[in-house]
Order: sequence, then C-alpha cells, then structure tokens
Amino acid sequence: MFLDLDKKPKDKVAAIDDSGRSITYGEICDFAQEFAKQLPQRSLIFILSENCIGSLLGYTAALSNRIVPLVISAATEEGLYNHLYELYQPEYLWMPQAKAEGKDIVFSAWDYCLVKTGKQPTPMYDELSLLLPTSGSTGSPKLVRHCYRNIEANADNVRRLFKLDGTEKAMAILPMHYTMGLSLIASHLLAGSTLLLSGRSLLDKGFWATLKEATSFTGVPYSYEILTKMRFTRMDLPNLKVITQGGGRLTEAMWNTLAQYAQDKGKQFIATYGQSECTARMAYLPAELATEKICSIGIAEPGGQLSIVDDNGNETFEGEAQGEMVYRGENVTLGYATCREDLLKGDENHGVMHTGDLARRDADGCYFIIGRLKRFLKIFGLRIGLDEVERMIKEEYKTDCYSKGNDEKLIVLVTDPKLQDVLPEYIEDKTHLFHQKVEVQVVDAILRNEAGKVINQ
Amino acid sequence: MTNLDKLNKIFCEVFSVEESALNSEFNNCKVEGWDSVHQLSLTSSVEDEFDIMLDAEDILEFTSYDNAKKVLAKYEVEL
Repeated sequence: MFLDLDKKPKDKVAAIDDSGRSITYGEICDFAQEFAKQLPQRSLIFILSENCIGSLLGYTAALSNRIVPLVISAATEEGLYNHLYELYQPEYLWMPQAKAEGKDIVFSAWDYCLVKTGKQPTPMYDELSLLLPTSGSTGSPKLVRHCYRNIEANADNVRRLFKLDGTEKAMAILPMHYTMGLSLIASHLLAGSTLLLSGRSLLDKGFWATLKEATSFTGVPYSYEILTKMRFTRMDLPNLKVITQGGGRLTEAMWNTLAQYAQDKGKQFIATYGQSECTARMAYLPAELATEKICSIGIAEPGGQLSIVDDNGNETFEGEAQGEMVYRGENVTLGYATCREDLLKGDENHGVMHTGDLARRDADGCYFIIGRLKRFLKIFGLRIGLDEVERMIKEEYKTDCYSKGNDEKLIVLVTDPKLQDVLPEYIEDKTHLFHQKVEVQVVDAILRNEAGKVINQ
Repeated sequence: MTNLDKLNKIFCEVFSVEESALNSEFNNCKVEGWDSVHQLSLTSSVEDEFDIMLDAEDILEFTSYDNAKKVLAKYEVEL
C-alpha cells in the first residue's frame, strides 16, 4: 500500500487537525478501501486542499488506489481555478463540503465530499501518480508530473535525513498543495509518526498551543520571521527537538538566530533545499554544521547526488567549484504538463535535474546558493513566476509590462500611470502575494533589444 | 491627524479598504485574506507609528479592528 500505511500499528494516531479530531493509521486504510468503491482507478481528480483530515484522506486514498490527483489550494482564485478546470477536465473533485453546494455529490466524509463533474476519462501514463502546480500562486497551468516512485523515494529520503520514527509529532502548517507540505506529510506517514495538521495562521493562539506538543517545526523563511517576532526563542518548548526550514533563503541574521537558539537549547536546526520538480527535498545541512556553514544548503539528502556544471560545461562532484547545480535521484519528477494530453507523457528527466540555481561548493563539499538562472522569485515561500505575472497583467490590462525583483519584493514596470494603484491589489487577488510586497514603477517605455530582451532593467 | 486617524490609515493601507469598512465586524474571520502576513504588517506599522513595542501575546490579540483599539489602550495610546 502507499507508504506502507497498512503496516503501521492500526490504532496509532496518524493525524490531528484544528477541529481537535484525530485519525488512526487503521482508519486511513479503511477509508482508502471505502474511497475505492466510489470511483474507478486512473480517474483524474482535483483535491481542493486545506490542512485538515478530510483533505489528507483524499490524498492518501487517491494515491493508494491509483487515482491521480491534482492538489491545489481550496482558496485558489476563481479565474485561475476555472482555467485549470477547463484545461485538465477532472472527472472528480474532492472538496470541502462547505463549498460544494449545488454540485453532484456522490460521497462525503470528514467535512469533505466527492463531486462527479461529468467530464470524460482521459488516458494517462501508467506510472503518473500526482500533479502539483509549479507555482502554487500564479496559477500557471504548468504542472509537475510525479510518478509513484518519486513520492516513495522522497518520503524515504526525508525519513532518513531526519531519522524519523513513530515518536515524532510533526507540526504541519505548510499547505498541503505546497510541495514541501506534502513531502512533510508523506515522510512522517511513512515513518508512522503523528501529524499535527493545522491551517491556522502563525498568529493564532491555537497554533501556539499546538506547537507546545510538537517535536518538530517545518517552516519557510517567513515562518521564522513570525516566530522570532513572537520571541519563540525565549519560550519553553521542551518537546520541540528539530526546527527545519526550506522554501527559500534565510537572511544571515535569521540563520544565526536559529543556529544559536538550537545550540543554546539543545535542539537541532536543519536547513534544507528543494524544488517541486524534485518532489520537494534535495539537500540539507546537518545540524552540527549549522553554526559553521552559515546559509549553506549543505549536502545532498540520503538517496540523492549533487554536482556542479561550470561555465565550460565541466561537471564535478567534489572540490571547490561554481556553476549550475545539478541533482540526481529517484525523486526527480517525470517532467511538466501544460495540457491534458501531456498526462500521457512518460519520464522526460530520467533522474537528472538541472536546478536552474547557481551554486558554489566549498572544499568541504557544502553547497551555497548564490543566484538563480530561472525567472521566478520566492516571497513568503510563495514561488512567483515572473513570466506568469507578466502574462496575467498583459491579458487583463492589454498593456506591455516587465517584472523583476528579489526575494523581498516583486517589481513591475508599466507605462500607464493609471496602473500604479491597481496592480498591487490585482496581483494580490490573483496570487495571494501581499500587495505591499509589490512595487509598480511607471516608465516612459519598456525597451527591448533585438532579441526581445528587456534592457531598461 | 488624531491617533484614531492614524490607526484607520494603517488598516486601510494593509487591507486596501475604505475607512467606512472599519467597524466591529472587521476581524480575521470576516475579512478575506486576513493572514499572518497582514496581521504582522498591521502590528509592525502600529509599533512604528505609535513608537511602542507590542508583547507577543498582544500581537496574537490583533485579530480585529476592535481588538486593535483595546490593545492600544493597554499601551496608553489614546484614541
């Protein structure tokens, strides 16, 4: 069965959510059998996810029964949702009961329900297991295609990396539709641990009550900004053993705060690196190096291999080097899909991923990310595709534009001064990126060279 | 500008709303998109504007327009 769920102790609690309800491994297995009676294998289903047990059960049941889900946020903006729906035409939806009024509900459980859409089945590659958006936010129709082995391999690599076992209680606040959120879930279920699933804000009292129970906390850089603002380093959290981070780069100051906290309080701070194209996790810095290798993503995770291809095209696996970082492992996904027909495609990556990140490797073999070749930003852990932002603005406002920025701010260049005020809100509506992180600059013209590359950057 | 004007301005900027929207219904359940990013932006702006340093538990209390006023009263900001 998926993640050997049927080999865990039946009465062991697998997950607890914000409602206070919990579910055991035995119940997850029973639910998967019940779910299988409702829809055929190899159906395409959209899971409109929230961090709750109902949503989790849809995921584990789909993966256990060779039903292929696209996991997206239940809060996906309507226009973006409709675009995905028309493009991929799922036969079923697994969605919160509260949002399913008037739909053809065939089955419900745990405040979630299965909706039949009337769409026709579509042929899919036999090993295709899961689809996730490349950027959860900009609503790109571009999806990452995972095979069954990708998910199992990532879960096992992460289990080994953190030495997870049944005693863990993992704080799971990262959204399920986010690759690292799903990776956290899969790795802890494989280890037979307990998930503390929460959809709460980090500024909700309920979150802090739950954190007291947790043995580990996984966050993105912004999560740690909130935690430090709340002065968690002074709190008494005796159960907490591990704090870990992914989804973008920490500032050096924040890194040092976390490394120092871990050292002072006898906890482990483990920074990680990954991409949705590699089923989330790829590299980690062992906790004992946290105070020594500041802001390093460390070494390849168990089961993976990192290398650097320099400007001359030479690939090296050890010694000092600088260039594009390449990853090899069984968690390298199959490739992308941009339309329904692509679901038939097989493995296009063959276990090798050119990450698009520029890295430096030091003499001890530790990697440091120093730049990015691909056009996207990571703000609050949200991956913001710059080309997609431009496409959205061009479609909506019929105007030329150019976007750039850094991991602090998205900057959009436009020529029409009227857009100055409306764009930040438009972008927030579409992508959920906080509007104060969007800066609109009005320029006389967006100048391009002959190759079409924007030159007034 | 009165302190109340200043507080209203902060809310309007963070949530992109008109001042008329600020009432006792303006809270983290009713306002769509009220998440930790918005809440922390509110509390940071309030700290800068009124030159105060909020305790962690008061940051957690900043879940509505009314609560914001109550918290500010604790810090002797007269509204």
